[in-house]
Amino acid sequence: MTELLLWPFVAGLVLTGIHVYFGLHVLARKVVFVDLSLAQVAALGLAVAILAGHPVQSEAAYWYAFAFAIAGAVLIALVRPYEGALQQEAVIGIVYAVSAALGVLVLDRAPQGAEHIKQLLVGTILTVTPQEVTSLAALYAAIGALHLLLRRPIMQASFGSQDMPRGVLLFWDALFYASFALVVTSSVRVAGVLLVFCYLIVPAALAGLLATGFVARLVSGWMLGAALTAAGLVASWVWDLPTGPAVVTAFGAAMALAALAFAARRLTLRKSALLASSAATIAGGLLLVVPQMDQPWLDVLEGAVPPLQTVFLSASERATREEMLQSVARAREELTRLRALEQDVRWNKVEMDSEKAERLRQYLAGKSELSAGDSLVLRHLHGKARERQRYLLGLPLLALGIWGLWALLRRRSSMAIGSN
Amino acid sequence: MLAALVAATSLPVQAQPERLLVITTSPDLKSLVEAVGGDRVEVESLSQPEQDPHAIEVKPAQLLRARQAAMLVKVGLDHEPWLARLPAVSAPVVDASRTVPLLQTETPRLRTERNAHTHAYGNTHYWLDPKNAWTITASILAALASLSPADRTTFEARREAFLSRLEERLAAWETTLAAHRGARIVVVHDSWSYFAERFGLKIVAAAEPNPGVPPSPRELAALLDRLRGSDVRVLIADPHSDPSLVRQIADKGGIKAVTLLPSGRDYIGLFEENVRRLAQALKSEQ
Repeated sequence: MTELLLWPFVAGLVLTGIHVYFGLHVLARKVVFVDLSLAQVAALGLAVAILAGHPVQSEAAYWYAFAFAIAGAVLIALVRPYEGALQQEAVIGIVYAVSAALGVLVLDRAPQGAEHIKQLLVGTILTVTPQEVTSLAALYAAIGALHLLLRRPIMQASFGSQDMPRGVLLFWDALFYASFALVVTSSVRVAGVLLVFCYLIVPAALAGLLATGFVARLVSGWMLGAALTAAGLVASWVWDLPTGPAVVTAFGAAMALAALAFAARRLTLRKSALLASSAATIAGGLLLVVPQMDQPWLDVLEGAVPPLQTVFLSASERATREEMLQSVARAREELTRLRALEQDVRWNKVEMDSEKAERLRQYLAGKSELSAGDSLVLRHLHGKARERQRYLLGLPLLALGIWGLWALLRRRSSMAIGSN
Repeated sequence: MLAALVAATSLPVQAQPERLLVITTSPDLKSLVEAVGGDRVEVESLSQPEQDPHAIEVKPAQLLRARQAAMLVKVGLDHEPWLARLPAVSAPVVDASRTVPLLQTETPRLRTERNAHTHAYGNTHYWLDPKNAWTITASILAALASLSPADRTTFEARREAFLSRLEERLAAWETTLAAHRGARIVVVHDSWSYFAERFGLKIVAAAEPNPGVPPSPRELAALLDRLRGSDVRVLIADPHSDPSLVRQIADKGGIKAVTLLPSGRDYIGLFEENVRRLAQALKSEQ
């Protein structure tokens, strides 16, 4: 595990380092989507580079992408003084959409690049090389040092620009967006658009909830970014998931947890009772009206407490279910074993003559068909139980929910009358 | 307005057809239609070899040509999902897959369990077996001859000539690759089954189990693990394979990556090039 995930993790740390910093600025400037917009402009630059005959991985293509991103950055900086007449966020959106469309037009003339640009947007953090990570780290250290040296005006341009003269502000904005464009162009090459966006916004936004003050937010953002990178990589390994999307999902899960925690703090007993009653009403009503619909909540409950399903089956149905479950489990075990054997034969680790290998292949196909038949029987029994749960479970649930809502709302109206 | 434009431009073509306008969905089929039709046909392909054949955006001019076409030839199966969105074409449609013996036609569920290229009706890259050109050109010949019965003998003669040239080249390709029969190879994307079957290569794994979805770290680790103790020496990549994935597998698995072309403008030339590249890769690794 460590062999494959070490460099992706280091890459994640490097990205966290610079992107949390820029994320705090971007959130303060209220230009959240500037990153996606500039990445799209950079992709347009790549497309133009391909059209001009440069391979997608070449240095020339990188500089094309950077030049385009800089042009986009300057355009966005130029708009800022006219915020009253033309919102900066609108320009960012327009730049995004138009450069995406232009990219399609350009790639129509250079179709060999389309796939590579798509991959670029998805990102390949799993296959990042040590050279890529070290050059990225060196570049970001330099940009970080520059921003540290010039921190006073750069911070003022983001966090308190009202006192700055217009010309001066334009200069510092242009510098800010230009260095940001360089960071985005370089990061997207390694991690893809989605992941870079998450590194930029999620830790900075979470840090905003947890801490006050720029430095405190920066440090907590760094810790969050590192922890979430590790969580995403481990999840990708344990649950066998594509790495980039797994890390993005880890960031999303952290955001959702934070939102839930904040909501829970405002939750009173009455509000939770209202929520529970509404949920019971909707779930019971759906079970009663459309029992054949997927009811994931009930599936989960049945998984945890099987009797919830089996009590709705007759004795003989229960016996069939038990038999099928065992047969499916046995088949799964055998299939796993034989598939491993088939793999070994394919890879020449186990010698087997071709006729026997073909027989193995056919046996595997037949066996999984049989097992699928057993699963079908289970599904049928499941449907039968659902049909009976419809009245015996759905009706009481619906009644309970409606009663809860009625009681809660009546109390409120009687309280309202009492207070009058 | 577009309809008026279509009507106006399509009239003269239908009035006196000089050459039959045939639209194909892939450049390979275009090459095969030309091989049979010769100067009696004018063929246009809706996609270019460099494009992803599954995701084509048809342009207005192409739409217009498709409406004027006397015949449309498609790869079939579910290779061109975008074709269904095109307005109905009145010309006869030749599904080149109809008569081809397909590989990997198990139910999709079985194949997803085994992590193979997930096309619903079987692997669609059947033109990559030169032997399938016999049945594909037979379908094309039948359709062309019914459109222009007077030219049947010309078409038949042209097809015979093309196939005998192909047969001769196929023998040469088989000789070139004969030394490597039975060689085990890994592919990035599962589009080489027909090609491998013809030339006696054994594909042991695909690095990208689902097209367009990068492998998970565990899948990649398992592949690299398998590679280290194996006699596999070559990885076949497609032109649009993720270069960093290809590089990582080649470096860490200690094998040579070679990019083969799944599609080309000249059917015989496509195999000449692929056989040359593959032979070189297999030879240098012996």
